[in-house]
Amino acid sequence: MEPQDLRYHKEHEWIRVEGNKATLGISNFAQDALGDVVFIDLPEVGASLAADAELGEVESTKATSTIYSPVTGSVVQVNQELEEHPEFLNSDPYGRGWIAVLELSDPKEVDGLMTAEQYDAFLTSHE
Amino acid sequence: MSSLQRIIIIGAGPGGYVAAIRAAQLGAQVRIIEEQAVGGVCLNWGCIPSKTLLNLVDLGERARHAAAWGLTFEGQIVFDLKRMMARKNDVVQSLVKGITTLFKQWKIQHVAGRGELVSDRQVRVTDPDGGTSLLDAEAIVLATGSSWPQMPQFPIDGQQVLSSKEALELTDIPRSVIIVGGGVEGCEFACLLSGLGSHVTLVEMMSTLLPTEDEDTVAILTREFKKRKVQVYLNTTIQDWQTTTDGIQATLSSGESVIAEKMLISVGRRLNSPGLGLEAVGVQVGVRGEILVDEHMETTVPGVYAIGDVTGKSMLAHVASAQGKVAVSNAMGTSQSINYDVIPAGIFTLPEIGRVGLTEQQAHERGLPVTIGRFRYGGLGKAQAVGETTGQFKVIVDEHTKKIVGVHIIGAHAADLIHEGALAMQGGLTVTDVADMIHAHPTLSEGLMEAAEDIEGLAIHQARKRS
Repeated sequence: MEPQDLRYHKEHEWIRVEGNKATLGISNFAQDALGDVVFIDLPEVGASLAADAELGEVESTKATSTIYSPVTGSVVQVNQELEEHPEFLNSDPYGRGWIAVLELSDPKEVDGLMTAEQYDAFLTSHE
Repeated sequence: MSSLQRIIIIGAGPGGYVAAIRAAQLGAQVRIIEEQAVGGVCLNWGCIPSKTLLNLVDLGERARHAAAWGLTFEGQIVFDLKRMMARKNDVVQSLVKGITTLFKQWKIQHVAGRGELVSDRQVRVTDPDGGTSLLDAEAIVLATGSSWPQMPQFPIDGQQVLSSKEALELTDIPRSVIIVGGGVEGCEFACLLSGLGSHVTLVEMMSTLLPTEDEDTVAILTREFKKRKVQVYLNTTIQDWQTTTDGIQATLSSGESVIAEKMLISVGRRLNSPGLGLEAVGVQVGVRGEILVDEHMETTVPGVYAIGDVTGKSMLAHVASAQGKVAVSNAMGTSQSINYDVIPAGIFTLPEIGRVGLTEQQAHERGLPVTIGRFRYGGLGKAQAVGETTGQFKVIVDEHTKKIVGVHIIGAHAADLIHEGALAMQGGLTVTDVADMIHAHPTLSEGLMEAAEDIEGLAIHQARKRS
């Protein structure tokens, strides 16, 4: 079961909403599918992103995958620690593996994302 | 044709020395005139020196990575640039000696000096002491190559403003370097210098690194540059610069200011056609100063041939060598034509690049309908085993004939791996021929087979694509 307090995107990103800000990362399913992450191309602070737009890229020893923004907003903070420690995406995807904080343009968009329960069902249906 | 045809070759780079040996093999009496060093730029100040140094940087980086896999070292891995340069000089000297030995074995006379045409059958040599002599021959091959740029806005002083020639002689690792130009040389030096520990800023006028390479290759290399923390400015030029007590302060066209210890100019090369006596003899040159040649490598003057960079066809050592063989074959009476259809090339960035044929964009520009096959290094058992999982194989195939029209590889040993694609193109093979050939396991070569299979969606070690 995924953390209950988060919302999930169909491309396997999560967000944690606090006020008009949202922290985001990739889900445990995503990190497991990727395998050992060796590099993440982080977004720039200040970048504006539309919902479902490309936010960055993550490279593992198995694949290179695009990370999508689950919501519309602008990047206010990125996790610089991942530049030196991309493995945090594997070891702690919901904690030290956070990727960026967005300022939400439209907090209502969050309602359109999956709850933990819905995401679990989504994963099961795609197995 | 006389079996004692006399041939003079001016320039002993990879074009000239290969032409000399081939001519001697075919029975000619050969004299080769070289002003600087046998082996030319490629061997002395280009391909070989840079590859020797890049190999050590690659080895060091791999050793550092390997610590996580259980190969640990007592103490730090340190790049000792003075000793690295000494090793580079040893490699160069040994290869130069190898060529001069071949010259002796084939009784090729090496004349030190500067050669210049006096007539279509005569060359004047000015030796290093200023003395001159006249040499006659039945055929003359001009193989004078190209030189480092001399741009008025970036005068090379060898101290703070360098060309690649000086950069390959550095004995102290600069803290920081601005590289002007994101072509092959600029990108290779960005890898070399960042690997040594310099902070590298690369400034490129065009909208992409390596503007003539396939966009997949460029995308992967651009990501690798981010990993190396090479600061890349695209669509940018150096507006103004000045030397300071610490080095260079440059103002970019974007208005930003960059400070660095040194600046490396990696833009363009000059063709060495002036001063060769071409006009007097009637050898015609083009607008860039390139010596005009036909498919037999013959200039507008019968019996006078030109090969290599100075012909402006391609700035690749191996093309010069191929042209040299064609030129002397014709001079010796066996008609041969040069074929530029299949020219594999390597770019020795970290990771390496290998390419042959059309890029995807070039195929689109020509209106050629193509299908694309891709396969990632990470899907190969060998790549996982040796820890070289970054990279991709890309095969471009004519949709109708199924013939391979381009192959682009970025990743470990790409410049070696590219030749299977080149041979397939040379032989006019279809992508199915490559996909159906049994490839040894575990090898990186399997990547080309899988990319070929991917054309039909049949690559085995690839995630199933959702339809």
